[in-house]
Amino acid sequence: MKDRALQDDVIRALADAPYRASADWQRRELADPDRVERYARFLARHFYYERIVHFFKYSRALARITGRRPEAVLKQPGFDALLPTVVLGDRETARAVARLVIEYVGESGGPIPYLADLLRYEEAMMVVEAGRRVWRDADGAGGAGSGERYRPETVEGTVLLELAYDLPAVLPSLLQPWTEVPEAPRRPTTLLVARSPHGRVAVARSDAAVAAVVQLADGKRTLEELATGAGLEVGRLEETLQGLVDLGAVRFSTGS
Amino acid sequence: MTQLMVGAFYNPHLGPELARAEGIDHLAMADPPAATDPWWPAIRERYTLLLHDYLGQLSEPLDERSIRRARSLAELYHSPWVAEHFQCLHTQDGTFNLNYVFPPLYTEEFLERFVRHARALQARLDQPLVMENIPGFFDVRASQMPEPVWLRRFFEATGVGFLLDLPHVWLEAHYHGVPPERWLAEFPLEHVVELHVAGVEHDDDLQGPWIAPAEPSDEMLAFAAHAASRCPKAKAVTFDAFSPSLTAEVLFRSVKRIRAAL
Repeated sequence: MKDRALQDDVIRALADAPYRASADWQRRELADPDRVERYARFLARHFYYERIVHFFKYSRALARITGRRPEAVLKQPGFDALLPTVVLGDRETARAVARLVIEYVGESGGPIPYLADLLRYEEAMMVVEAGRRVWRDADGAGGAGSGERYRPETVEGTVLLELAYDLPAVLPSLLQPWTEVPEAPRRPTTLLVARSPHGRVAVARSDAAVAAVVQLADGKRTLEELATGAGLEVGRLEETLQGLVDLGAVRFSTGS
Repeated sequence: MTQLMVGAFYNPHLGPELARAEGIDHLAMADPPAATDPWWPAIRERYTLLLHDYLGQLSEPLDERSIRRARSLAELYHSPWVAEHFQCLHTQDGTFNLNYVFPPLYTEEFLERFVRHARALQARLDQPLVMENIPGFFDVRASQMPEPVWLRRFFEATGVGFLLDLPHVWLEAHYHGVPPERWLAEFPLEHVVELHVAGVEHDDDLQGPWIAPAEPSDEMLAFAAHAASRCPKAKAVTFDAFSPSLTAEVLFRSVKRIRAAL
């Protein structure tokens, strides 16, 4: 095995707890297993600290009302129990960690009517961000904008979020100084949460047409079929698709 | 040795305090300024800024987008040099990512990779490149030479500057059971341009000390003074703490104590 592949193996062992416990890894005896385990646990806590602080920043800003800082879950038994299954960057692990935060902060019973919506929104951001990403453009052959444009396909992990409150109207003020908890208008709101191949998470308001396109774009339907299904003219559909491609929600498969 | 600049990292949550602070010569920038940061114009106006962002891992060549980003940030900051780390923290296929600095194997193959890609990056920058040492918590049996030997060969082959992170050296010495001064003496100190100084704290997972956004101890400050006196080309010493939990008091007191110790 070449050195670069060997390095990948060490990185995987640190990131992927089930692999670290496997005979495949252990028989290689590349490093002291106790030291590797301790370092892997340190990395896991660091990895999810960064993500919780970033993606749950709004409920963090509300901690003086809820009395619960989201990152506190990392020092609780629930997170320790997850450690043997943690795979850094994996969507299932992100979901499991986000659920710990939702349970902990959501149980606070703070007088914030939109808290449940807010936690679902933050969970969606954290889960969408997870998954394999392109680190170098040379690694990203294919994807949006390259190759022959063919049939649109919703990118795996893209989420449509139905909320009871208009969160985008209140989020900026949560990060500003406030004395009374900022209020969110109560009106049904649909948000689209997507991630670029490089890992940038974006959120946009969605309407029924956008939601239909996201739900129908399966890489098999043609533009005409998609337009019919979404109730859009082809010209409007193309505009909508371009916006979705820019967000990272849709890519064009090349028909292979 | 020229007069050393003493500074810290720009922590945006401490923007109001840093915008009017005295006694700080420079700020290292770990992230680009947020568009909404009201303190950024004053910070940019007031300080020498050092580019210390994640540009990419030099086990692979940086792509054009990353190089353009590095050039753009260096220009924005008027940075006198551009820093990167001796790190290899994600797999080639992008599936696994540690999201934390992690050193490469110290082998001939990795040396050749880092030399080639650092030269390529340096050729595209208008500022000198400096590279920071990264601590290992455990040794990987596939490494072929000690880290200081690998680093010396890298710096001699590239002419790149050395950003010497002292807590990293201290931690490696600690976990190998050798005095930090003796371990430090192995490193190619004649290439050092900048030094990092910070505190260490006990970590429950590691069951020992690790880097933390904390004040340097008296022992660390004495180690910094010892190291700085052996780095004839050093230009700056930076309090290496970048965290939302860092307080203004810790930052200012640390910079003051570092300056007094040197």
